[in-house]
Amino acid sequence: MSYPYRGSEALQEPIDKALRRVVDPELALNIVDLGLVYGVTVSEDEVGVRLTMTSEACPVTDLILHELGTELERVMPPEAKILLDLVWSPPWQPEFMSEDAKASMGW
Amino acid sequence: MDGTVMRSPGLRQTASVARVAPALVVAPCLVMGIVGGLIRAGTLPSLPQDFVTTHAFLMMCGFLGTAIAVERAVAVKSATAIAAVAAFAAAGLLTIIGLRAHAAWVAVVAAALFFGVNVRIFVRQPVAHTALLVAAAIACVFGNLVYASGLHSQTAIAWWFCFLVLTVAAERLEITRVTRRPRGAVVALYAIAGMLVAGCVVKPFSEPQGNLLFGLALLALAAWLARFDIARRTVRAEGLSRYVAVCLLFGYAWLSVAGVAWMASAFRYATRDIALHALGLGFIFSMILGHAPIVLPAVARIELRFSPILYVPVALLHGSLALRLAGGAFDAINLRMGAAGNAIAIAVFVATVITLVTRSAAPASVGGASRTQILRGRPRNRPARTTR
Repeated sequence: MSYPYRGSEALQEPIDKALRRVVDPELALNIVDLGLVYGVTVSEDEVGVRLTMTSEACPVTDLILHELGTELERVMPPEAKILLDLVWSPPWQPEFMSEDAKASMGW
Repeated sequence: MDGTVMRSPGLRQTASVARVAPALVVAPCLVMGIVGGLIRAGTLPSLPQDFVTTHAFLMMCGFLGTAIAVERAVAVKSATAIAAVAAFAAAGLLTIIGLRAHAAWVAVVAAALFFGVNVRIFVRQPVAHTALLVAAAIACVFGNLVYASGLHSQTAIAWWFCFLVLTVAAERLEITRVTRRPRGAVVALYAIAGMLVAGCVVKPFSEPQGNLLFGLALLALAAWLARFDIARRTVRAEGLSRYVAVCLLFGYAWLSVAGVAWMASAFRYATRDIALHALGLGFIFSMILGHAPIVLPAVARIELRFSPILYVPVALLHGSLALRLAGGAFDAINLRMGAAGNAIAIAVFVATVITLVTRSAAPASVGGASRTQILRGRPRNRPARTTR
């Protein structure tokens, strides 16, 4: 796991898979491998995801957030809320990418 | 990645209307810009109103200026950004109804507002690619000022191309951050951008030297993109990612052709049509065809399912451009047919996108993240601004 996770162990795998289904269409890399996910916190009735984008000028931010919300709704219990916290600090760095993602980009 | 769906947040009716409005404005600019181009190529007969000399303005300011301003407005969500969109759109529409002089000065205001938007992006994220976005906006201001003052129309065209090319360069520079880019790559791109700007500055005083610098910069940029861009890698992916990469690689090839043609025009070769259209259609439109399936869902809040059928207009565009640019120099019929093919390719692309949107907008595929709350980088000790 490349981001801090706190909460239900039973939900850890389904949540991780949901995050990895959200893919940047141009890079062909998911948001976890890209290093955009800064942390996941799961409580009884809520899952919170702290994440960033590679650039503030990125026009597809809303789409990625929506895609993520939809994927998490599929794996969370029906009463659970999903909180997506889009942050800009710390700014995203290429070093945050997973080893697999770096390899696919020729590192 | 066949079957990739770019979903929209909410798809609410009012928001959709507000987002579809720019499309209704850019469409007439695109159509009348293309009509002007077809009249110039001899494919269509002349109209009572002169659309030939407004062809470049409608394509690069009315259509692309508005489209790029919309892209920024979606990202930064500020009043200035929306005002820039409105001003670019107004400039395009005023041109179409014949108020060319008024349109030109409105376009200056549009570019100034757009400059402000990009400065704001740079202040929030002061990095290499956002600085290039500011440089692109400055080029747009210069292009519109030269056009409005009626000084030298060819120089205005060079500045507009500089605006578009630097915008693309900035976006590609941002995306190459995922690669292990050598430090010198950014410096090299800045040097190329400087050479492009120098070409525009020199052009009104010495057209051959200006064109030589401009062409050299385009050729160098093509080499930079071929060396550092991710398209060489993502072309090995599948579905939408591969489609985008194919469009990019074709675009880079045409960019190098454009560079050679701009340089050749400095030595009095008759390569003007090749210089302008290898760049405008081969490079810039290839970028549009490649990125529209990604950017349109974000801008217009629509859903668009990727389909390999999108390769059809791409093949039409590049095939007809090759016919026009290779054959047009020898034969007016090739030029007319090639230009008609270019217009058909764009029409087929628009029709294909509309078909794909209609298909994927079926109620079953519209996912609403109704339980999802989004917080956007709120400052500490301040209540969160939430969107649903």
